Amino acid sequence: MLRLSLFICLAMLSAILPAADLSIALHDGSAIVLNGLDARWQLVVNQTSDDGQTVDATRVATYKIEPAIGQIDATGYLRPITNGSATLTAEIGGASCQVALEVTGLEQPQPIDFYHQVVPIMTKAGCNGGGCHGKAAGQAGFKLSLLGFEPQEDYEHLVIESRGRRLFPAIPERSLLLQKAINETAHGGGQRLTKDSHEYDILRRWIATGMPPGNINQRTIERIDIWPQTRQLTKQANQQLSVVAVYTDGSRADVTRNALFESNNTDLAKVDASGFVQLGEHAGDVAVMARYQGKVAVFRASIPLGVPIESFPPTRNLVDEHVFAKLKILGIPPSAECDDSTFIRRATLDICGRLPTAAEAQQFVASAEPNKVEQLVDRLLNSEEYADFFARKWVLILRNKRDSVGEQAGSFAFHQWLKDSFFKNKPYDLLVRELLTASGSLSTNPPLTWWREVSETESRVEDTAQLFLGQRLQCARCHHHPFEKWSQADYYQMAAFFSTVTRKEGPTPEDPMFVSRVANASAAHPRSGQSLRPTGLDAPAANLTPADDPRAELVNWMVDPNNAFFAKSLVNRYWKHFLATGLVEPEDDLRVTNPATNPDLMDALALEFVKSHFDLKQLIRTICTSSTYRLGSDANAHNLSDTSSYARYYPKRLSAEVLLDAIDQAAMTDSSFETLPIGTRAVQLPDTGFGSYFLDVFGLPGGATACECERLNEATLAQSLHLLNSKEIQAKLISDAGRAAAMNASSQPLSELVNDLYWSAFARPAKPDEIAAIEKYVSERPDHKRQAMEDIVWAIVNSKEFIFNH
Amino acid sequence: MLTIFGKSGRYCDGVSRRSFLTIGGLTLGAFGLPNLSLAALLRNEAETPKRGGLGHKAIINVFLAGGPPHQDMWEIKTEAPSEIRGEFRPIATNVAGIQICEVFPKLAAVMDKSVVIRSIVGLKDRHDSYQCMSGWLSNDLRILGGRPCVGAALSKMYGPVDPAVPPFIGLAAKTQHMPWSDPGIPGFLGPTYSAFKPDGPGMENMKLHDLTLERLQDRRSLLSSIDNLRRDIDKSGSMEGMDAFSMRALDVLTSSKLVDALDISKEDPKIVARYGDGKPYKYQYDGAPTCNEHLLVARRLVEAGARCVSLSFGRWDSHGQNFDLVRDHGAKLDQCLSALIEDLDQRGILDDVTVIAWGEFGRTPKINPSAGRDHWAPVSCAFMAGGGMKSGQAIGATNRLGEYATERPVDVQEVLSTLYHNLGIDTATATIMDPTGRPQYLVESNPIAELI
Repeated sequence: MLRLSLFICLAMLSAILPAADLSIALHDGSAIVLNGLDARWQLVVNQTSDDGQTVDATRVATYKIEPAIGQIDATGYLRPITNGSATLTAEIGGASCQVALEVTGLEQPQPIDFYHQVVPIMTKAGCNGGGCHGKAAGQAGFKLSLLGFEPQEDYEHLVIESRGRRLFPAIPERSLLLQKAINETAHGGGQRLTKDSHEYDILRRWIATGMPPGNINQRTIERIDIWPQTRQLTKQANQQLSVVAVYTDGSRADVTRNALFESNNTDLAKVDASGFVQLGEHAGDVAVMARYQGKVAVFRASIPLGVPIESFPPTRNLVDEHVFAKLKILGIPPSAECDDSTFIRRATLDICGRLPTAAEAQQFVASAEPNKVEQLVDRLLNSEEYADFFARKWVLILRNKRDSVGEQAGSFAFHQWLKDSFFKNKPYDLLVRELLTASGSLSTNPPLTWWREVSETESRVEDTAQLFLGQRLQCARCHHHPFEKWSQADYYQMAAFFSTVTRKEGPTPEDPMFVSRVANASAAHPRSGQSLRPTGLDAPAANLTPADDPRAELVNWMVDPNNAFFAKSLVNRYWKHFLATGLVEPEDDLRVTNPATNPDLMDALALEFVKSHFDLKQLIRTICTSSTYRLGSDANAHNLSDTSSYARYYPKRLSAEVLLDAIDQAAMTDSSFETLPIGTRAVQLPDTGFGSYFLDVFGLPGGATACECERLNEATLAQSLHLLNSKEIQAKLISDAGRAAAMNASSQPLSELVNDLYWSAFARPAKPDEIAAIEKYVSERPDHKRQAMEDIVWAIVNSKEFIFNH
Repeated sequence: MLTIFGKSGRYCDGVSRRSFLTIGGLTLGAFGLPNLSLAALLRNEAETPKRGGLGHKAIINVFLAGGPPHQDMWEIKTEAPSEIRGEFRPIATNVAGIQICEVFPKLAAVMDKSVVIRSIVGLKDRHDSYQCMSGWLSNDLRILGGRPCVGAALSKMYGPVDPAVPPFIGLAAKTQHMPWSDPGIPGFLGPTYSAFKPDGPGMENMKLHDLTLERLQDRRSLLSSIDNLRRDIDKSGSMEGMDAFSMRALDVLTSSKLVDALDISKEDPKIVARYGDGKPYKYQYDGAPTCNEHLLVARRLVEAGARCVSLSFGRWDSHGQNFDLVRDHGAKLDQCLSALIEDLDQRGILDDVTVIAWGEFGRTPKINPSAGRDHWAPVSCAFMAGGGMKSGQAIGATNRLGEYATERPVDVQEVLSTLYHNLGIDTATATIMDPTGRPQYLVESNPIAELI
């Protein structure tokens, strides 16, 4: 039996009292106020059960308004009828609550506001979307600004362009705009509005009243608020959302039906145009983004699986604290910790990009040291291979390419500089500072290779934002970012930091000099032409004299402990490196509308990273010694479908370079890379200038972008063909110096040879049934023993256990 | 039925349809090898079954590298003064009112099945195939790796028709001036979607070498006896994808479809003779030979399941001896291109296959002292056929001296948009995602209205 206490929650109520008292407090008054004919209000009604669980009852409640000055439909959507005051009552099965309603401003029609009423209709109806009239070239001769970000342009295109034939104030219904919108005149985009809709009526009245342009400066939107912001919901539950725009003049208006909604995971939750969220069958976290006139807000829901969790592995550090807290809320039991063999293989692959040797694995498994995991992680972090592997990771996103032989000196030196930096554990802020403020001659200052390769100011701005701040500013180069608050002004204010950098010719074209000129740093806004001062994102303008290198000030802002982006961006990138799935995905797209699956963990990791003075090895140590990182990849009865709560270790395919090296290690062979010495491993390649079909086919990125997404991990037929039938792999198997030859020549029993191979490939001994299967295979081929050995090595390196880190 | 997987039953061996669907966005591809995404799978499934026609839409892009002289091809400027007019006279075609250069009598006889465009604009003076393959310049979106060409976009959007035949194939062997043999770049889609080249390592892997099929199957059986890691723990679908593809890889090795398609000894000798052999190769220097049989191979590949075949035909950069060159290259092109059009028509697949022959720009009106013509980007031309277009038309015209398009200038992107249209892709709405997550249009123009 539910104790039916019912709340009517107007968006952003600061205090809600139990229904028993039937008193509802609004933070900006005590009533819903509908001002004007076109004002609307989306109610959200909550129902709280005895156990404190709150559910949405907006579409379950019945409503009445006394006296009937307004009308409310079954979805809780309210519109005015006549001026006056009334009481709105919501009722479910005897429980009820009330709120005061006031309707004003109906005595005389108010002019339709182009900016706040017309443009949002076109955005919601999709007219100005990137697929229609909003694309750069417009559509069928009619162009609107993307998502209405440039309303003045839209006004001109609608009212003035095409000799005004789009709008016809004398008979507004005959306006092309309306005829097309309801598809009465053939419209490529089909019907966007119905003739009886409120939206149609607003457009019609705007035309009939002579298309007032309105005053865009009169009031602008400060932000939008969404309610509720977070909720814990059960599977298949519903939730009505409400979106309120807050204007610079302090006024507020419900814009729920004018906002655009989007779910980040439609398996978990779908949302319709009215902001009504419907959950699916799955447990997990989901975010629904609302957008209105360039502002964004997010509703986050967690949907527990609700399985009681008997025990957790020990909470070893802050990682476990937050991961386990989340699992507890969601009711997803974690897998058991993995065994030692799996752990050493996992950690060695993740930290050093190679397989552990058989000896390393055996030693680790045999060790009884209580802190052997910590010792292993430290040993790996102090190895040169750690520096190799992470230098490789970074050279690709830092686009260390070379287009000519002459550029090789620079690209090799840049790689060496990165490797040294990681080996010496240079603090991350210092590394970024040295890179972004580099000046002088490339031959003496290797990070200038980045400046040589990333040669345009725009690319420098965008790469810097994406690599070090997790912000994808590219969109804002040409228009307001569609899913984020960044405008073109934000973009060019960032660009201003790079405006004084000049390239000067050095002794050779490949060895240029870069300096920051003595000048006032600025960049012109591409539309207004206004000169913009260097300003960080969401930051006050930098105070610079012409003598300052603005880039130093940029880095000062970035590495400030309070910077909202810098530390988070790095910890998320590294978290994904180890745990396969970023707290934010994609890892370099940290938008308000793309929230972290575990915000507390993100904050805690970032804070710890800042406190450690940006110590990269310490961050890795924290991640890799946590219980979370030690969880097995095998799923229990409940966590198989978990993909974002880290209830188990998610397997990942070895990256192209690591896989090639691993095959060489298992087959006891080498790959050769052009001029580099034999024995050079693929993860040691200094730049992208080494052709290898194997690496390409397994998704090696070309260094074209600063995005990790350029590396492809998809399975392809070409990969399978290459592993199955390439001369390259076959050459490794039949090599006289390789493992198959050695196994063939050895006098050891086959079972021992197989065991050695298993230790090398999997860091574990072979199981009896595996040895039996292999022995059987060999015994069936008495005349082709060498070939049988080749086949064994082939089968091992083709197994999923080999190709994946699990 | 999943016609895409060829012989049914094999595919279902161990991978249920359901589990395949859960694999998600995996692709078969790399280096022109068949690509297959879930979307492509569904689309292929939805494709109407073969009914006489090819069963899919395809293009054959014949790149006339170096830039053919537009005024000596499909629009002879008879009223221009002699220092511009050149040596050729126009001849009538089988379409009343359309005349083309006398070097092309066989094409004149298939004019009713073809289209000439005399007024292509928007080309830049660059000696490469970028614009003809993609509609874009090499520096467009260079920061992300460039814009993908038609073949790469098709690979991404549609995947393969037959898993053993790559959807996008580039036939040109590497030329000394490399941009002339570029089959079109995958751009920001990445190397997974680049053209399959019969001389590349992808081809090597599709042929058996030292290993017999039996040995490969032995290896597979050994592998399956020890490869026991639980597959469903990988939610990215990669593990199941690898299993599915290794099974398909064996199928590909048993299928000789691609190898057969490349082998014209399997073709009727009369048809081979009809295409001619393009020999003796003349004037090609650092460009491609006039390899007539490439057009025949292209037809065979399209029939086997390729969606886009591009090739490079000759070297048309006629700074000297322009007229001798056109006589040589033109006569060979006349023979093989007319053969291709007739051949496709006789097989009932001309409506499914769009053929286009064009170069990177036109040539100067004024003949230079070496009897040559130099680069002239303001206007160029194309010969097209098939693809369900309204044929028997000449689109556009240049002024008296052949300098500029005076009637119906056709932007190079309109030509690409028409190709996409013939392939069933609406360029006004179709987008592909670039690596920054931004949807990009394939081209920004609409198809040539006169042709569709």
